[in-house]
Amino acid sequence: MVCAAVSARVSPECIEKIHSVRLIPKIAKTVDINTVADLINAAALCLPGKVVAEPGDLYNLETWRASSILGREFKYPETLAERTAVELAHHISLAGRRLIINGRKEYHDGD
Amino acid sequence: MGEKNITMEIKDKTAVLLMRENPNQAPDPYKMEELKGLAAAAGYRVLAEITQRRGRDHRYQLGRGKIEEALSYNPNKLIFYNPLSPGQVFNIRSEFSAQIIDKFNLILEIFAQRASTREAKLQVELARLSYDAPHVKNALSLKKLGEQPGFRGAGAYEQSMYHDIRGRMAKIRAALKDVEMMSEDRRQRRRELGFDLVALAGYTNAGKSTLLNALTNAGVEAKDQPFTTLSPTTRAVEMKGRRVLLTDTVGFIDDLPHFLIKAFRSTLSEISQADLVLLVADMSDTPETMRRKLVASHKALWDCSCSSPIITVLNKADRLSEEASARQEAIRDLAPSPVLVSASTGLGLEDLAERIGQRLQPLKEYQICLPYTSQGLAELSRLYDTADLLHVSYEDELVVHLRGREETVARAGLAGARRL
Repeated sequence: MVCAAVSARVSPECIEKIHSVRLIPKIAKTVDINTVADLINAAALCLPGKVVAEPGDLYNLETWRASSILGREFKYPETLAERTAVELAHHISLAGRRLIINGRKEYHDGD
Repeated sequence: MGEKNITMEIKDKTAVLLMRENPNQAPDPYKMEELKGLAAAAGYRVLAEITQRRGRDHRYQLGRGKIEEALSYNPNKLIFYNPLSPGQVFNIRSEFSAQIIDKFNLILEIFAQRASTREAKLQVELARLSYDAPHVKNALSLKKLGEQPGFRGAGAYEQSMYHDIRGRMAKIRAALKDVEMMSEDRRQRRRELGFDLVALAGYTNAGKSTLLNALTNAGVEAKDQPFTTLSPTTRAVEMKGRRVLLTDTVGFIDDLPHFLIKAFRSTLSEISQADLVLLVADMSDTPETMRRKLVASHKALWDCSCSSPIITVLNKADRLSEEASARQEAIRDLAPSPVLVSASTGLGLEDLAERIGQRLQPLKEYQICLPYTSQGLAELSRLYDTADLLHVSYEDELVVHLRGREETVARAGLAGARRL
């Protein structure tokens, strides 16, 4: 699986500036909240600000629980800009995953 | 005599409200308050409110005992906050012989009572059918459970009910598509006429219609109840030299079901296609409620794919003066610089007009050439009405220097105008 983190400055209605984008690939046999939390922490390491992720990604946990598991400030998307940023991260992670899988296939096909 | 009967019927509408709270989440009294408000708007007299904290009961949503307790009040209907699955509806109806609806059905009931235009009626019918279709399908499958095809079976006659619903939905969707296309054409025409389109959006009962009335003296129906407006109403007004068309829209609500948004797509397209959205919030609510309603509004705007700039307007500012700054602080991340207005007293309307003028995209300047034909001269005459003409020189051709919308200039191109 691939986790994408978008570090951005947002106003309620739009993304004002994207500071950086990170892509963390990980292979795991099973997925649970600890795996997801580790991935998010690795992707958001040293990035300032609050972490925003979709409720489904964190098993619909309450904000305070997700925050204490991650060990940093956390919230679910509320404004249009936060939703846009999360959507952006989804697109990036999906594209990254496809790139890794297809790239690997092409590499092996080339052999 | 007829009127008496109707009054009796309204008085007789009683209900008990039931809500199941998730044990993993903090209790939220606001949800029940909102359900109560909706029930009152639909004309129900609430006999009792019953809440239970537990996991979902797959047969009845709540525990059996709570349903029996609710029925002990002898209500006409049981209203559930939580969405009921077709199976749960079937179980409660058959085992308790009770009339039940959930929150979505309650909203649909309010919509059905208030829908006056053909478009609104079609939208309500589509929403109701979208909700009913899976229930009917499930009810049919439950009815046919264990039966053998052939003699005394449910047969094709009842099975066709589901297909009839699908057929009717397709017909309504086609009719609404026509309405949507007409609305799109109307919006395009309005832009060509030099108008900026501004939509009033916001949580239900935030005061959108009152604000429209205050800004335009429109005389639109505005009441202190949810879902007074179901069809968009548009009025023209001039603000800081800009000709603006303000559109009042249907209000949002927490957990607005997806099918309702789909059904009201043609109404909500007024928001997604607007040049500017005024997001109205009720400032007299508690900070938590205000925050929750703004988040729900942002979610609904996201669902209607709104990409226009947004101005957050905090209405009913006259109701509190000292706490205003504290409330603004509570929603700073959702609305960093809101405009405080009071639609009923007229407070802050000037500021709002100023802000609308600032946030609308500035008009561009164009230089175009028009031929000396009757069409060209007619177009020039039209441009006097729809754009700011800065200079007109009568040379070999008519050279017009104007400030206006892109669409207005594009429309002039049909009359043979060339851009310089």
